[in-house]
Amino acid sequence: MNLKISALEFIEEAKNGNISVEEFVSTTLERINSVDDKLHAFLSVNDNVIEQAHNIDKKIKSGEKVGDCFGMPISIKDNMCIKDTKTTCASKMLENFVAPYDATVISKLKKQDAIFIGKVNMDEFAMGLTTEFSAFGPSKNPWNIEHVPGGSSGGSAVSVSSYECIASLGSDTGGSVRNPASFCSTVGYKPTYGLISRFGLISYANSIEQIGPLTRTVKDTAFMLNLIAGVDPNDNTTVNNNNENYLENIDSGIEGKKIGIITEMVGDGIDPEVMTATKEAISKLEGLGATCEEVSLEMVKYSVAAYYTITATEAGSNLARYDNLRYGYEMPVEGYEFNSYISKARKKFGPEVTRRMIIGGFVPSAGHAGKYFLKAMKVKSKLTKEINEAFKKFDLLIAPTVPILPFKIGEKIDDPVSLFLVDINTVTANLTGKPAISIPFKIVNGLPIGIQLMANSMNDKMLLQAAHALEKSVTLPEVPI
Amino acid sequence: MVTVEEIEHVSKLMKINVDDHSEYLEKVQTMISYFDILDSAGVESEEISMPEIPIEQLRNDEHIPFGDKLIEKMNHYKGTFVRAPKM
Repeated sequence: MNLKISALEFIEEAKNGNISVEEFVSTTLERINSVDDKLHAFLSVNDNVIEQAHNIDKKIKSGEKVGDCFGMPISIKDNMCIKDTKTTCASKMLENFVAPYDATVISKLKKQDAIFIGKVNMDEFAMGLTTEFSAFGPSKNPWNIEHVPGGSSGGSAVSVSSYECIASLGSDTGGSVRNPASFCSTVGYKPTYGLISRFGLISYANSIEQIGPLTRTVKDTAFMLNLIAGVDPNDNTTVNNNNENYLENIDSGIEGKKIGIITEMVGDGIDPEVMTATKEAISKLEGLGATCEEVSLEMVKYSVAAYYTITATEAGSNLARYDNLRYGYEMPVEGYEFNSYISKARKKFGPEVTRRMIIGGFVPSAGHAGKYFLKAMKVKSKLTKEINEAFKKFDLLIAPTVPILPFKIGEKIDDPVSLFLVDINTVTANLTGKPAISIPFKIVNGLPIGIQLMANSMNDKMLLQAAHALEKSVTLPEVPI
Repeated sequence: MVTVEEIEHVSKLMKINVDDHSEYLEKVQTMISYFDILDSAGVESEEISMPEIPIEQLRNDEHIPFGDKLIEKMNHYKGTFVRAPKM
């Protein structure tokens, strides 16, 4: 059984009866059993999937209507609620939390006969970009297990790139889908803000985060987007996409498109290998008929500081709900005063979450808000103006997804600013609400490099067409695990 | 510069019990110091733009019953009440 096929290939084969869904899912579980001890992509594996796959096979054979996923095994980042399933957010605080309802993305995929093969690892409450801040231990990069897989949706990227599932859903607050996609050589998509419902996603920084797919191909991402995008009455920030078909005309190519190279994202601090790969990507796009020229977005220099100020503030508010009464773990209430009980219970948060909550209390507080939070919001506004201006001239913007290669586990964990700067090329899309995609482009010294394309809001379809064109221009080796 | 006393004060406000505040001092100071870069962004006169959703686009403000009794899922549910620490 070939587990390396794309989602669309799987669907075609399953629909035509060329493969048994049960056999495919069973082989996928064997794969997880054989490699996940090394990789630690999964926090939990769903034991009931074989029966579900068997039933889908029966429906296919009897000619009954089957959902568009045809039993495709998908992994889900462990910050999205699946009813009656543990949703831990990779935190000791939620270690035993069982979700009482489905996130909207989950309901939509269930209706299409997707199989949720397991919940995958992440940085605790999505605060991090390596999965080293997971309370249950880091995931490993399948290209070199001494290196980080990126994050916070690291488990999602590892599970897709190492053939432990066909596709995954992650969440992207500052690059948390695109960064691990780049580090593990998968496609990672952050849609226009509001395109996908966040109902049932455990909140970190609501004003900028989005759920996004990680897949083997751009076409698979377009397929996933068709299934999960659209208005949701349970999320008032969702936008009407008029049932756009993102797969239709995906082969349109990129001829005549104008692409801006963001100078602030290819300057100081970029690894020479990443710079070379970026130049090669630009040449390929020009060879496909696009024109590329430099564009400056001055506020990018301040974007990481603005991003961490805003997200810490929103996280401080969002995490106030973890009082160990509504959510939490077994800790007797007897003998405690109300506040001291909550404060003691919240010691279960890991060190990074605690640090960000302290910052989240500090930067918007009286006496400091003007210096930090309000300035961060002003940078966000000015950056949005700058990028809107750039999109009057350009159809797309390009930069490497991450300015450096995947680094070793533990290498940056004690240097927060060095870790912050890994996000420099990804946070702009979140702060401005624009769609962005990471496309696997090159493997250097056994480590992947991804290229990021960005488009204006609601131009997701054109962005996927461009990404597909770039993807088709490269052939990459298989993951060595 | 953030002080140990400020970290102590903020962690109390955020309801986090931290045994040794100095343990967090260095990293929090490093992070906050990095945010000082915002001073040179030159955005003082910039207006903060916020997305606006017209009220008629919001869903109706009505009670939607939930299938399960969520109260029963709480940690200290005692059949007819939830035990909480004393106020």
